[in-house]
Amino acid sequence: MPSKTCLPIVDEFGFFEVRLDSIGGLGAHLAGQILGEAAVIKMGLNALHFSSYGSEKKGSPIKSFLRFAAPDRQIRSCSPVERPHLVAVFHDALLKTTGGLDGLRKDGTLIINTRQTLEELKAFGLPGNCRIYFIDALAIAIEEKSRVNTAMMGAVTTASGFLAPDAVLQALSETFAKKHPSAVVPNERTFQRGLEELELVAEPSCDVIEETKEDDMPLRPSPKFGYLTAPIGGCITEAGSSYTRDLSASRSGFLPVLDVEQCVHCGMCDIVCPDLCFVWKQETSASDDALIKFRLEGIDYYYCKGCMRCVDSCPSGALTRQAEEEGFAERHRVVMFPEAKQ
Amino acid sequence: MALTTHKTRIGNDMKTTNAIGVRNKKTRKTEARQVVAFKSGNEMAALAGAHINFHVMGFYPITPSTEVAETLDEMKADGQHGIRMIAGDGEHGAAGICYGAAVGGGRVLNVTSSQGILYSLEQLPVQSGTRFPMVLNIANRSVSGPLDIRGDHSDLYFVLNTGWIILLARSAQAVYDMNFIAVRIGEHPKIRLPVIVSYDGFFTSHQKRRVQVFDKDDAKVQRFLGKPDTPYHALDPSRPVTFGPYMNDPDLINNKYQGHLAFEAALEELPKLFKEYEQLSGRRYDMLESYRMTDAEVALFVLNSAADTTKDVVDKLRKEGHKVGVVSPTVLRPFPITQVQRAFKKVKVLVIGDRADSYGSGGGNMAHEVKAALKDDPDNHTICINRVYGLGGLDFYREDAEAWFRMALETARTGKVKKRFDYHGVTPGHPDVVMKPVLPPITKEETSHNLVHVEQDPDTGRLKVEMEPIHRFTTIPNRVAPGHGACPGCGAFSSLRQFFMGIEGHVVVLFQTGCSMVVTTGYPFTSHRVTYVHNLFQNGAATLSGLVEMYHERVRRGEFHEDPDITFVMVTGDGGMDIGMGPTIGTANRNHRMIILEYDNQAYMNTGAQLSYTTPLGHRTSTSSVGPQQTGKQYHHKDTLQIMAATHIPYVFSAVEGYPQDFIKKAAKAQWYAKREGLVYGKVLSFCPLNWRTDDDAGTLVTQAAVDSCFYPLYEVEKGKTTITYDPETVGRRMPLRDYLGMMGKTRHLLKDGNRSVLESAEAEVERRWRKLKAMHDHPLL
Repeated sequence: MPSKTCLPIVDEFGFFEVRLDSIGGLGAHLAGQILGEAAVIKMGLNALHFSSYGSEKKGSPIKSFLRFAAPDRQIRSCSPVERPHLVAVFHDALLKTTGGLDGLRKDGTLIINTRQTLEELKAFGLPGNCRIYFIDALAIAIEEKSRVNTAMMGAVTTASGFLAPDAVLQALSETFAKKHPSAVVPNERTFQRGLEELELVAEPSCDVIEETKEDDMPLRPSPKFGYLTAPIGGCITEAGSSYTRDLSASRSGFLPVLDVEQCVHCGMCDIVCPDLCFVWKQETSASDDALIKFRLEGIDYYYCKGCMRCVDSCPSGALTRQAEEEGFAERHRVVMFPEAKQ
Repeated sequence: MALTTHKTRIGNDMKTTNAIGVRNKKTRKTEARQVVAFKSGNEMAALAGAHINFHVMGFYPITPSTEVAETLDEMKADGQHGIRMIAGDGEHGAAGICYGAAVGGGRVLNVTSSQGILYSLEQLPVQSGTRFPMVLNIANRSVSGPLDIRGDHSDLYFVLNTGWIILLARSAQAVYDMNFIAVRIGEHPKIRLPVIVSYDGFFTSHQKRRVQVFDKDDAKVQRFLGKPDTPYHALDPSRPVTFGPYMNDPDLINNKYQGHLAFEAALEELPKLFKEYEQLSGRRYDMLESYRMTDAEVALFVLNSAADTTKDVVDKLRKEGHKVGVVSPTVLRPFPITQVQRAFKKVKVLVIGDRADSYGSGGGNMAHEVKAALKDDPDNHTICINRVYGLGGLDFYREDAEAWFRMALETARTGKVKKRFDYHGVTPGHPDVVMKPVLPPITKEETSHNLVHVEQDPDTGRLKVEMEPIHRFTTIPNRVAPGHGACPGCGAFSSLRQFFMGIEGHVVVLFQTGCSMVVTTGYPFTSHRVTYVHNLFQNGAATLSGLVEMYHERVRRGEFHEDPDITFVMVTGDGGMDIGMGPTIGTANRNHRMIILEYDNQAYMNTGAQLSYTTPLGHRTSTSSVGPQQTGKQYHHKDTLQIMAATHIPYVFSAVEGYPQDFIKKAAKAQWYAKREGLVYGKVLSFCPLNWRTDDDAGTLVTQAAVDSCFYPLYEVEKGKTTITYDPETVGRRMPLRDYLGMMGKTRHLLKDGNRSVLESAEAEVERRWRKLKAMHDHPLL
């Protein structure tokens, strides 16, 4: 397919840049790879793709970057995309924590996988100078028995204005055919729905979101400690400081819910929980040691990644797996370290 | 992994510009057939490996180079190449495998990074000094410590003096091309040296770009490669040779001079070889790549990917009318002195970027070498400025290159240099933001719960343990704080939780490199509420033994107001205990008072599930792929506990979180022995849902099945006496191995008819080890 594709807009270096903001395990890296492959192999464009690599694991924030260019434009810059034309947020919880909107260009495009309304999400600092699309990629993925990333690929394809659906579909099908032949059809359907079910919820001039004052969103943050302030040798003197981290975004739509009425306080949940989320209370009796009671107070959802091992271990049925509704975790969180400042 | 063999041309411009953008007039008749692909540097190293079809690859996985072995393994399972691939016990072992293979006269490949290159460092001069070619790809990464997995050149700078030829690959395409060049230059009869191909970790190793690769069956490619031809090798009994004699003065200097002459020859041969390769590929390389340098007055000298980033900035500043350019070597050893002198002849100001420091020398290695080259040109008056940048993978943005150019232009205008040597990209920090304790330290009282009662049986000398119900342990503070970044469902942390339930009082821990180290200490956060030390996973046991002895010595000298009464625990894993086995056995032989806890999740899951020696037969990992030509791991799993039992330490145990009471009691016993008698070695089978390919919540069931199938028996060896602490046969829970293997995606293929022989071999081995253990349980002398 000889390329007549034009990029709708490019920066001073000739690039159209995309950033996928996601959680490890949702497949943003693969999505980026397939989009890049489609552009290069199927559409004859030039492209570069890579993801932020750290030591964090499944369930941790990850960014995937794409740099598109005309066929004759070499791509040599290898630093991360900082001023994207298009940002796709794979999980709306990321809006709270990861700086997913940083650097998004004025008149750029923002896609968010969410079930919420614009009204509910705008508090997270959505830009007033961009086109904003919503898509319920999770629902599509669940219905089609595939994954969020494929629906998001569809959404990015549509919103990009230049990626050819056929090209992406071909690259996608080839990728799955190699490793998971049975996943080809569900993913093709998911992609198709992603293309179509994307909903435009705001445009630069609309009055739902206040006009963003600055031309652009902020860029890279500074490290918390520097060479004048960090203890030498890299040592960390804030023992246990990871308790301040909110890992809620690691959950993929479900959480364990405790019914205290049914709980027999046996402790089996506690010893299988990798994330150490269970908050207990000891009720002592001054007179009789045998009367000491250990009571499970609840779950600190800050740390819960939704693995459901506690539900599996629970002999009384007090713990159940439930779809996570917005705000539930905040309302039912039992704070593990109330004495320490969060 | 199959290549994309479609016929699409990359637009019209591909006729004049190839994948790396080097202009060539037309496809020459000498050019081999090529296809366009979208690949990363690691994938390109792997493809080059497959296309060259090296005889042997010795390797050991390390980020960010691991993907090369993974890709080759997957291709091997599909029958796409014939390389004999051997996963070493560590990089030192891998280098040994490679050296031995090279002495055998065939083509040899290795790939590593960072600590890997340092761990194998002593082997490198051995290989070059005895003049055996091979190809070693290094995906450059920062060296520890503190541990950093991202890219800089601190590993590369360690190999500068090893006597290896060093080729640099700025892009994924160049990684592929340099591997072909490396084979040829190393095997040149006047040279015969091993060759390193260095490319930037993550920037080049992981970024996917538009590239071209050969059709490997094209006769032109095979003609270019030729056949390896060695004057001496170790596999011809009709010509016995002594390799590696004992050689002192006056001879060694002559051996080294021969090496020096080989480098002189390489200086001459490389340009010729680049020309020959251009004819084959259409891609041109020079000893030194000069970009828009013809009339440049201001220039940058940087290695690898940063040079590519800089080119965009050169174009931008040229548009503004500034005469700027960038120079980057393709060959670092031999260092192209003449070309460097020529490139900078008319340059007024040169900024040399070093992605590693040569500490205390007043500059990075590249600055020293470039300045030394220029000093020998009497006509040169270039002002040199040196900046150390991009350490530990800190990105080098176009803005950084632009800032250097602007600084150099200013210097050219004024003739004044503000600072000749400095770091670029450091952060001072805000004086108000300092580290201070956030959670109170866990007190001895809080953890001295007395919920596990350990008593020594006066008759047998062995310990009797009883414990309170589990729920009574729930309010004891965790030594590990929540908020760590492990995957959902990770068994390492539930295992650690159960283990520490059995441990009372103060604890100091040492974690070897692995998942649980990485996810608990991502700077500036730590999940450790007790004092924690990290060391690399080849040396944790020795390190902790040193700390233990310092503790006892300081107590003996009365240096503590009060004996802090510390229990020392080393945690090793993921992947079990492979690379640190030597120091661990040494520590056991010395019988230090400490506990080593191994969590074995059956592969190196932290780096993407490569096989470890504890990976059982037939299991799928990313370096024991499953395909028509290969059914997972080729040999049985290491029996670490029996190795450790053979050191006759006081207490050895196995445990699993699916049987928590058994685990907690063993932890308490471990503490008793570690405080009084000596070393304890414990092993936990640790659930890894991501790479065992199970649901996140399957940990209890799967680990119980491992025990009930007798794959992973729960037992202890206490003062030489083996006791099975839970026997599934006596309680009627014994299950077939296949039922256990059927629970995990990584082993489900073993239940297919075609893999029956592998399954039967695994069953037989499990049964043999189990019966032997039963005999040891039954007989006090075994």
